Amino acid sequence: MSIYNVLKSMNSKTMTNFLKEEANVENVLEFQNISKYFPGVKALDDVSFHINSGEVMAFIGENGAGKSTLLKILNGDYQPSSGKYLINGQEKHFKEPREAIEAGISVIYQERQILMDLTVAENIFLGRLPAGRFGKINIKEANRRTQEIIDDFGLDMRPTDYAKDLSIAYQQLVEIMKAYSRDNLKIIAFDEPTASLSDSEIDRLFHIIRKLKSEGKIIIYVSHRMKEIQQIADKLAIFKDGKYVGTYGLNEISSEEMIRKMVGRDLGDIYDNLDKNKEIGDILLEVKHLKTDYVKDVSFTLHKGEILGFSGLVGAGRTETVRGIIGADRLLDGEIYLEGKRIHNRSPKDAMKNGIVLVPEDRKTQGILDNFDVGKNITIGSIDINSNRFGILNKKKEKRMIEKGISEFRIKTPNAEKKITELSGGNQQKAIVARWMATKPKVLILDEPTKGIDVGAKSEFYNMICEFAKQGLGIILISSEMPELLGLSDRIIVMKSREISGEIPVKDASEEKLLKLAMIGGDLNE
Amino acid sequence: MNKTGKRNFQLPINGSNIVLLFAIIGVTIIFTSINKNLFSYQNLINILIAASLTGLVAIGHTYLIIAGLNDLSSGSLAAFSGVMAALFVSNLGMNFWLALFLTIIIAAIIGVFNTWMVCGIKLDPFIATLVTQAILRGFAYILNNGKAVPVSNETFITLGKARFLTIPLTVWILIIGYIVFGFILAKTKFGRSVYAIGGNKIAARLAGLSPKKIILTCYMMMGALCAIGGIILAARMNSGQPSACVNLEFDSITGVILGGVSFSGGVGNMGGTILGVLLIQAFNTGLTMVGVQSFWQYVARGALLLIALAIDYLRKRNREKRLIADSMKNL
Repeated sequence: MSIYNVLKSMNSKTMTNFLKEEANVENVLEFQNISKYFPGVKALDDVSFHINSGEVMAFIGENGAGKSTLLKILNGDYQPSSGKYLINGQEKHFKEPREAIEAGISVIYQERQILMDLTVAENIFLGRLPAGRFGKINIKEANRRTQEIIDDFGLDMRPTDYAKDLSIAYQQLVEIMKAYSRDNLKIIAFDEPTASLSDSEIDRLFHIIRKLKSEGKIIIYVSHRMKEIQQIADKLAIFKDGKYVGTYGLNEISSEEMIRKMVGRDLGDIYDNLDKNKEIGDILLEVKHLKTDYVKDVSFTLHKGEILGFSGLVGAGRTETVRGIIGADRLLDGEIYLEGKRIHNRSPKDAMKNGIVLVPEDRKTQGILDNFDVGKNITIGSIDINSNRFGILNKKKEKRMIEKGISEFRIKTPNAEKKITELSGGNQQKAIVARWMATKPKVLILDEPTKGIDVGAKSEFYNMICEFAKQGLGIILISSEMPELLGLSDRIIVMKSREISGEIPVKDASEEKLLKLAMIGGDLNE
Repeated sequence: MNKTGKRNFQLPINGSNIVLLFAIIGVTIIFTSINKNLFSYQNLINILIAASLTGLVAIGHTYLIIAGLNDLSSGSLAAFSGVMAALFVSNLGMNFWLALFLTIIIAAIIGVFNTWMVCGIKLDPFIATLVTQAILRGFAYILNNGKAVPVSNETFITLGKARFLTIPLTVWILIIGYIVFGFILAKTKFGRSVYAIGGNKIAARLAGLSPKKIILTCYMMMGALCAIGGIILAARMNSGQPSACVNLEFDSITGVILGGVSFSGGVGNMGGTILGVLLIQAFNTGLTMVGVQSFWQYVARGALLLIALAIDYLRKRNREKRLIADSMKNL
């Protein structure tokens, strides 16, 4: 604490650098009873724990467990609904990310936030470029200081390189250097930093993290990848459904135990007990050489009663492929056949009429109509069916459809007039699925259907999906959760860089194989 | 709030509309206490006649704003239509009904142009219709070199004077307009689609609706309504006036927002709009009757719009607050 104050009062660059290397600056980050509510969701529930400097704390938990929400509170993006956080014993309220950055907190996200048309040095010193008299920017000084950091990190790049010319991994490292270049950096958080990095780049990142650790920074590392966590983390904070489960030393807990604490039950059970469809029928959908502005040359087939998984990293082109199929994005080339007949989907409306429907990726921005109640959200896809030739809606018909949807999909709502936004995420998603199933589709496309919904609702969803397959629907399931894909699919297609990099029957698939295809591509047998 | 039981029968008036009703009564009482003549039958009819023009345009604004759009060109379009119809009848000797039909068609085509700017070149509706506002006002003057076009056609003039059951024809047109368009908005597929694209255009498109077609219909409808409004005004004044209807869209939008249509789209109903338009018309007439200088009337109107927007903001914030409170209870 006292050293910290000295450091702050001196504010001299040489002294700071000296302290950085020589002294262990003690930093403590403490969360006290933090809760965060969103309409329909309790994202964080009374979370309290602390992190000491000089250790790498991994946040683990399923999607939607609350890890990212906590990071967003820490960097001022969100305000906690209740509770507080303290840095070195001082309570902080960051109203926006800028305030957090100024206080020495950096969060490195998956999506790179650097400016592509600027150089490495300009990116690193953006907003605080060293300036001389009359505000003239001293770019030489910036380049010199950037070179120092590059040398510190042991990287092969120049301060004058443009960001857009760097590899994705290096772009990410520029962001880390940017955080590092701030004299008062205390806390650095990585949110899934390795999603797009190769093995050697991951090694380099870990080298840098260890360096930061030795300098007394607090390091938060959010990841789904067990292997990496075991390599880099000292401690684990486990989250489950918005609650903090506990902190464990890396060696205190086995992987199985970890997963059990994350999900509250054995994940295997959910999938093992699924009553999967065993009779896969004829070819239902055939996509040939599909090309849009966002994907190049995608071909595949889907059978009746089949669940076809789509795997790949974020940005690999999975969502874009299905958007092309339903006509949400313009088709540049390619043919689509449904039950042997060629179809043309110029808009999602055409696709719906042809019997192909999509439950989109982002429920909030693409799925729900937040000004409508639950009932109208269910029937909006069926207004043609529910109206007469003058376009007048048949209230009775609508009501029947709504009641059927609510009971069949077990949507938990007091009544159909409840605003959709007041429901939990899982129930909102069920309403969207009900919307589409009411149109009696032949092909159901689900894009990340269980993102951000709790485990209980998830297993309900899985049963539902299997039930649809049994009814003879063809199902395309896009998911970033590998256990989900492996547990549900009959066949898995992997995409990489906007094209298909492989296809595996589920009995031959494993997480490693999928990941290899997603990251490296190529022939599995090599 | 809502009960699950039978609620098939629904009054077009809900909680916030009742507040409006009281506001209208309040405004009337205040102005009447200052000027006793205001509450006379003749004055009420005058308010209704004045409301018939704003009211027709407000129907269009209700659809547009619920759909998340807007239109600033309505005043210019109404003036342009009035002048054009008068020219058709007086200078070209056209049959009134043909002139009416042609004017409506042309105004609807201007709606197509507005749609092209909004959907085709993706301009913000505010800016896009600001363009049409200027161009159409210009053309309203150009058509007859800036002069008003006198009308002597009998059918035309009768439209402005005729009464049915002592109520002027123009008011009847307004009443029929509200019944028809209110029904379409509340009970049809098209109405439902308008709410849907106003709530979330992207989700609505993915849900199989065609936002472009819906937007096109709304703007064409608005065009037709402006044309009818402009012609009614020309009939009442016995001439097509190129300088008429300045600030028409202002009163109309204020009325619509006062009536509970949310400026951010997706929320509102026709019942609210009727009351909102009546309120602003009573307000305007009242200000004139009690002798408020016309310069100050502008200030008062601006203040009224600000109040309407503030109420809209508070309503929205309350909805969100209630939502979060409910979520906390449910979880």
